[in-house]
Amino acid sequence: MILDPSRYVAPGVSGPQGFKPIRKNIYLPVPAQVREILEENALVRTFVLEFDDPLVNQEFTYEPGQFMMVSMPHCGEAPISFSSSPGRAGSFALTVRRAGRLTSAMHRLRPGDTIGVRGPYGRPFPMADLSGRSLLFVAGGIGLAPLRSVLEFCLDNRDDYGEITLLYGCRTPADICFADDLEQWRQQGVHCLCTVDEADDTWSGRVGLVTELLPEAGAEAASWRALVCGPGIMIHFVLSRLVEMGFPRDHLFTTLERHMKCGVGICGHCFFDEKLICREGPVFSMSELGDTRNL
Amino acid sequence: MLDSFVLDKDHLLPLLRKLGKDYRLIAPVRNRHGDTLFTEIHDLDKVEIDLEHQPQSSLKPFFFPQVEVLSLYGLDRDAVSGATWYSFYPQLPENRPTVYFGVRSCDMMAVMYTDMIFLQSSEYDVYYARHRENAIFITIGCNRPFANCFCNATRSGPFLEHGFDIQLTDIGDRFFVETGRARGVRLRKQWSYFFRDAAEEDKRAQFQAALEARGLFSRLVHVDLVTRILARQKEPTEILAELSARCQDCGGCAYICPTCTCFTIHDQALDEDRGERLRTWDACTFSGFTRMAGGHNPVDPERQRIRKRFLHKLLHDVEHHGRTSCMGCGRCVDICFGGVDILRFIEMVSENETEPEETP
Repeated sequence: MILDPSRYVAPGVSGPQGFKPIRKNIYLPVPAQVREILEENALVRTFVLEFDDPLVNQEFTYEPGQFMMVSMPHCGEAPISFSSSPGRAGSFALTVRRAGRLTSAMHRLRPGDTIGVRGPYGRPFPMADLSGRSLLFVAGGIGLAPLRSVLEFCLDNRDDYGEITLLYGCRTPADICFADDLEQWRQQGVHCLCTVDEADDTWSGRVGLVTELLPEAGAEAASWRALVCGPGIMIHFVLSRLVEMGFPRDHLFTTLERHMKCGVGICGHCFFDEKLICREGPVFSMSELGDTRNL
Repeated sequence: MLDSFVLDKDHLLPLLRKLGKDYRLIAPVRNRHGDTLFTEIHDLDKVEIDLEHQPQSSLKPFFFPQVEVLSLYGLDRDAVSGATWYSFYPQLPENRPTVYFGVRSCDMMAVMYTDMIFLQSSEYDVYYARHRENAIFITIGCNRPFANCFCNATRSGPFLEHGFDIQLTDIGDRFFVETGRARGVRLRKQWSYFFRDAAEEDKRAQFQAALEARGLFSRLVHVDLVTRILARQKEPTEILAELSARCQDCGGCAYICPTCTCFTIHDQALDEDRGERLRTWDACTFSGFTRMAGGHNPVDPERQRIRKRFLHKLLHDVEHHGRTSCMGCGRCVDICFGGVDILRFIEMVSENETEPEETP
């Protein structure tokens, strides 16, 4: 998928090689307008965006698990996963936790402001291979954002997938994202279980690590597929636990986070052993990862 | 079959003068501080082209500058609503036809490697391409390898079999000339009166020089062996930790390396509403290279900061591209005051290994 055809550049060489094909400038962001901002919790907001150019908006497609490079004025760029389902055309959503300079600037955005984006990049979740399967989603904190894209895609194509279970763990009740979605998903038949590491007065639900919910998920190791996202250490323990429960490693999928600059496999920042996460990932099956202790 | 010719040494300057009229000319020039650096030559009579010393810099900065403006950006504000409009204006570099003269084999091989990184078919880096597309390379074989050179072990010298436009070999009072790629053939034809056909004795002299050069390396470096050890055995974590502890975070090795292509992209504000988006060299040895917003760093700088550098060059690139991305130029040996160079690593890994090295 190529963004905005008007922004192609011609090398403009006359000379021995003669005519050369026109190439796209991979580093050039295109403007996207903030349509809506949803406050997920004190630190996390979801930005619903659409391209200013209606043609681009119409043609833009992406897949669950992919990401965009987001530009903010004077802040450079950062990779942000889609949190929306590609089936819902006309806009896309990025969910962002306030953590550094760029994300803080994003949290100061108001509807109507524009940001720069380029993409989509990265290898998505293998949705075609997952079709016909029952799915277990295991998310930690903001890690639900990329899985939300998959989950909503499955709900948009409900007949293609079997049972859906979501296990969601957060540090405290105040860290829970997508609370409204959780309620809606329950109504749509998703089996949702939530837990927090530390409860407070508002919390009457489960307390403990998300791994403790795994036995209750009702997921059958032989036939289900599992999708896991969260902090590196949580991914490691959940994947290990699922392997112990008998899941084959190539039935377990996760998506990794790294510092990135180019998004297209050149700048070198996002390495994981010999892999570049932006190009070979960010989605990996566990069988591709080897040692998961330092995700 | 490469065509071969002879260029008398007293024809060299006249040829370069001619080329200088049509092309930007870049060659190793010895400056008044005694440094030999690839430099743009404006007046051939005022500079000293130095083919005796190894250029301290490679060609990398010409194709991938240390700092480069990718685009300008601006922010417009709606006077009524206050909404901001954010736009980018790409800044493409010039692509003047350029002759790079006096390029060593290792540096030519490095350009071929960086071509692969920046011009890979799926994602094409237009900035690199602009710098690179009108370049002509006149290389020179190394009759006498320099002190830290080990291009014989990385199979990137001291002479080239492909990749150059024109390759010169010093054979006394004349250069033996081979034309390689089309631009070199064309250039030789265009200025054919500077050259004459090579005679048997010229070919013999070139063969002799190339053969002798292979015997003149002062270091025996087991590059292939180390690649095999790294692929076969457990990672040498203790060696990596020991070298990491001595790394001073200066990035000199990556900056001087002709094949290190990591970069960062960042913004420099010009005023409140305008700025430049820059691309700047980066180094995987820097402690912040992999640190994410929020502070998590998947690489432990104390023990692992040089891990990616050495494994990438000696193992990962062999797996991905079929050869090491170390070209054996030896520049990182001189630049590192902590002694954390790739030769040290290769020596430490291969030290206690008894497997016999295959001789090419």
